Amino acid sequence: MRLPGTRYQEHGWEQVRKLLGHCSLHAFRQIEMHHVLEPAQHAALLDAYTDAVAASLRTHVRSARGAAEGNSYGESVYELSLGLLYELQAQPAYWAAFVAAMASEHARSGAFWHDAAAEGVLRKKVNDMYATLRDKVDADNYIVATGRECSPNKIYTYRMLDTAYREIADLFLAWEQNAAQVGAILGRPLAGTPIEVRQMKSIGGCKAEWIIRWSESQEQFSGSPGPLHTKSKRFASLKNSPEKIAALLTEIGDYEELSANMDSAEEWQGEAGEAAAWLEDYWRVLGESEQAEASGLPHDDDRILAAPAADDEDLDDAVPGADHATGHDAASADAPDEALLAVEQARADELSLPLRYLELARAAQEAGSWTVRMMRDESLPIRLAVYHKLLGASDDTYPDAWLDPATGELPTLQQLAALDQISMPTLRKRRNEAIARLQAAGAR
Amino acid sequence: MKENDLNSAQDDLDARLRERVLLSRPAPDDRLMLADATLIAALDGTRPLTPNERQALSASPLTLRRFRQLSLERQAAAQHAVQPAANDPVWTGSSGMLRAASTTSAANELEALVTDDGHWTLHFLPQDGGWQVILSLSADAPFAARLLRDQPLLRVIDGGGAIVLQGRLDADGECERAWPFATAPASHFQLYGAGFAVEPVAP
Repeated sequence: MRLPGTRYQEHGWEQVRKLLGHCSLHAFRQIEMHHVLEPAQHAALLDAYTDAVAASLRTHVRSARGAAEGNSYGESVYELSLGLLYELQAQPAYWAAFVAAMASEHARSGAFWHDAAAEGVLRKKVNDMYATLRDKVDADNYIVATGRECSPNKIYTYRMLDTAYREIADLFLAWEQNAAQVGAILGRPLAGTPIEVRQMKSIGGCKAEWIIRWSESQEQFSGSPGPLHTKSKRFASLKNSPEKIAALLTEIGDYEELSANMDSAEEWQGEAGEAAAWLEDYWRVLGESEQAEASGLPHDDDRILAAPAADDEDLDDAVPGADHATGHDAASADAPDEALLAVEQARADELSLPLRYLELARAAQEAGSWTVRMMRDESLPIRLAVYHKLLGASDDTYPDAWLDPATGELPTLQQLAALDQISMPTLRKRRNEAIARLQAAGAR
Repeated sequence: MKENDLNSAQDDLDARLRERVLLSRPAPDDRLMLADATLIAALDGTRPLTPNERQALSASPLTLRRFRQLSLERQAAAQHAVQPAANDPVWTGSSGMLRAASTTSAANELEALVTDDGHWTLHFLPQDGGWQVILSLSADAPFAARLLRDQPLLRVIDGGGAIVLQGRLDADGECERAWPFATAPASHFQLYGAGFAVEPVAP
């Protein structure tokens, strides 16, 4: 199923889910899982988890599963998996829910994450986290693409209808073997080839009544109730609103047709030039608003949208506090002396980086840039770790001097920590503090 | 790598990071805070955001992402719009050369120069021991109507880049100035590459 902006709703999702599950189990063996029991450690655990899964995913870039097509916009299973993993950082509520589920399982059965027999339980919890996260991410993507409201539940409803349509299409295709149910769906006994079977060519041609009658007939023909007729209240109201179903089916059908010729996703991360282009508009709009305020003239009434009627079960939000003081002495960004350079070179050599890596990477920063000004007090490895987290290990805009020639990417976090002579947790802590400061400043 | 390339790559990097900082920060219960109409009016400059709206936009990564989308769509549309319509061609400049045939009079006096496209003529009139130079636009030029309407600032430069004349066309499509050099027009153009150009002055 394709909808405006969505990326995780197509055939490749099953593979994305499996790859994330596989790499998560791998990661759980490397990180301090008992930290799920310590709320103060949850944010740090997410960082460790993200890094470990990202590293594990990277080994799948060219594997059959990782390289497979994840959606019809040309994004691979690996790319989608990595993208969703990083969404966890922006949506910490989903991590909080996962950690809570892990902790309550621990209360029942101890450190089950060490138990090979409990792998299924573990995998299920990871699945649950990503399955709900993907609908949240795609609901947001839909809003950004269309300007219309959406919610994870609505995405789930679209998908239920899309699946129902596909099942009906399968029944229509083999109507002779399924004459009784096809008759029930069409609402009349069959006499010869039903014309509807030939006429329904896409989801846009599927009638709402068929969906409702199909769901109703599922109990009789397949033994379990259809999605509109389960005991769960989830879609209970929908079965009495054929016009609502029809509108959703039409929307899926229309976009499917529209997007059939599109060969690439609207990449919201976008091109480098785009960032500068819209940010200029942003500063201008803020400036004009501030000017209007300063002019003292009465301004219009606020036109802030009301919150849409809630239809989601709320996830508890846990926002990691970002109020730690920074107590470390900053490495100077000014020209370091000879002895320091020699020490740096020895460290780079141990890490198989070019000897003058730190010196050249430092020179490749633009001293006047906003980012460098904002991170003036951070050491170079911390700054690079910030880029690493926000833009990824490789980006077209990175100066060559920042890259490890062996990989063509930024040094790994381990290398950066070693360059800075600090531990990984300290690196992550300082990096996160720097990002929190950037975020506070960036929002103005 | 040239310095300019370096700067623009660094600016891009800076912009990319600022973008990520704005768009990827966690914002619990984030939702669309402003309607498209409100955002578009702010982008168009027709209705500035109120202080509360400004605050709502800055604090909502989701609304900012919608703003980003609308901003980029708007810029793409604007780029599309400046493509010249077929019946209203854009003129970006004309150039010409001092040719042997330009100086035919016995006194070796230069009377006129025409651009290669034939749309512009430079006339030279002796006056009070000096010269007047007159730029005139041919009424047949495809961009004549637009230039007469928009009255852009124009300049004529010689082959060495020096300004021969600068000003706006009058209603007759002409612009007259005193010849600014001590040497006569013919000698002057010969000294400076024998070429000249008429071009709009970038605002």
